[in-house]
Amino acid sequence: MSEFSGHLLLQAAARANGRTALAAQSFRAPYHISKPYWDTDTRTLLVQVVNPTAGILAGDRLESAIAVGAGAALLVTTPSASRVFQMKGGTAECHQHFSVAAGGWLEMMPEPLVPHRGCRFRQTTRIEVAPGGGMFFADLLMPGRVAHGEAWEWEKLCLEIEVRLGGELILRERLAQSGEELRALADFAGSGPAACFGNAVLVAPAGESDAGWRKAVEALHGDGLWVGVSPLRLGGWNLKLVASDGVKLRRGLRDMRRALATAFPRLACDPRKL
Amino acid sequence: MKDEIGGGNAPGAGPACGVERVDPNALAAPAASWGQAAPPPRTQDVAWLVGLLQAGDSFYPTGGYAHSLGLEGLVQEGVVRDRATLREFVLRSALPALQHTELPLAAHAWRALAAPDWSQVGEICVLSAALKPARELRAAAGSIGRQRAELMAALHHHPLAQEYLTRVAARAWPHSSAVSAALEGRVLGAPLPAVLAGLTYSTLAALLSAAMKLLRLGQNACQSLLTEALATAPALIAAAESVPLAEIGWFNPWHDIAAARHESADARMFIS
Repeated sequence: MSEFSGHLLLQAAARANGRTALAAQSFRAPYHISKPYWDTDTRTLLVQVVNPTAGILAGDRLESAIAVGAGAALLVTTPSASRVFQMKGGTAECHQHFSVAAGGWLEMMPEPLVPHRGCRFRQTTRIEVAPGGGMFFADLLMPGRVAHGEAWEWEKLCLEIEVRLGGELILRERLAQSGEELRALADFAGSGPAACFGNAVLVAPAGESDAGWRKAVEALHGDGLWVGVSPLRLGGWNLKLVASDGVKLRRGLRDMRRALATAFPRLACDPRKL
Repeated sequence: MKDEIGGGNAPGAGPACGVERVDPNALAAPAASWGQAAPPPRTQDVAWLVGLLQAGDSFYPTGGYAHSLGLEGLVQEGVVRDRATLREFVLRSALPALQHTELPLAAHAWRALAAPDWSQVGEICVLSAALKPARELRAAAGSIGRQRAELMAALHHHPLAQEYLTRVAARAWPHSSAVSAALEGRVLGAPLPAVLAGLTYSTLAALLSAAMKLLRLGQNACQSLLTEALATAPALIAAAESVPLAEIGWFNPWHDIAAARHESADARMFIS
């Protein structure tokens, strides 16, 4: 079976006409990107990153670096979930680095990560936003192939995220629990055996309308969906979702983006337009 | 070598309480045979011990009584309802969070304060705040940490504590209860396992004290739970001491969400 050392490099820049274009791009399997789409309503460039292989396999080493320059706006999404397959030996790793310059906007909206039974996977995400820059990053995790009755059965899963604003660390999170530990927590909290997670970070200058969207997002809480919003040190917000199933998670994230779009209009860009 | 066995103060800071050396056996009394009382630990050095007892007592004015550390939010969500669910929360969340976050932070800070390596101390302060996505949990750690550091400086007039406060103010480092626990240890000359034991106790005691106000729980029910939790402390502390800085962190989104929702709760008893 082939092992991939894939990379994805994207640099978005503002053109003289105000539109965003990819000033630089480089990718290697298993990464591939679609033809970018300019969304005139939100003035955002939409790019889909596709993994044409089945998913992430043992030995894969994936690196991605996406940079957005001043005045540019980019939404990066994926068309399908990223499945991390069972590994008889070895591990897989994915390292992501996203940066936004002052006046730039980046939204990262990948489909969920689905760790299969017996996989060993580590993902690191480093986000750097300059003061005056904006970013929305949403990371979704399913407990496994729930429809197959397989959940919480990864062998080793480590998801790390670090967010810096103006060079200062404002958020660090690390999920490295065993599936059994997380399943027990999900049972304890009442989220059930198919609980799935959404962890989002919004970095944007504080606005007068923050109280409004925050109230709308918090109102999504209930009926199998946990939702919390809290400001980060020095700026930005952490938004968390836990849902009792994947459908509720997607619905929760969709409604969260709609609520946020009242204050951050670029979040009205439909990631499914392509 | 002194640091490895956990003794002494930061070099240049001068001895605190006249203590120069810590007996490494002080925390490891020989096991008792079945049915017999454990032999007493072999130490004559109790200066740091009484200092830690003072710092860990509810009489010590850290402001910890005003915080539930996220527990009130979980009670409001109906997750923690009684002793059984409180026990589950302690075992499944509070203890692992200590092992993977607060205790390793304190251990790294205790080592960094030996030289002292101020750059590393500042990094740990920032990391401590960054590891708490919910504002109230961050603010609670900051408030308790500031109070503890200021008390150390005021009560012991120790140059290390005073220098720490000067640097925190100058660099705008966030205060951290874990770093302040390490500072207390260095000022008092306490060994690392004792510092971590003190932090474990004060965190669990504060949590269970808050639980008594939030739930229908008696003193004995809480004390028996505290006893059960503290029985895990030696293994917890041993594991926490070896967690690398890059691997510090623990994921409990329900706790974070409950703490975040507590910020805008209609009614609440505790600040966090």
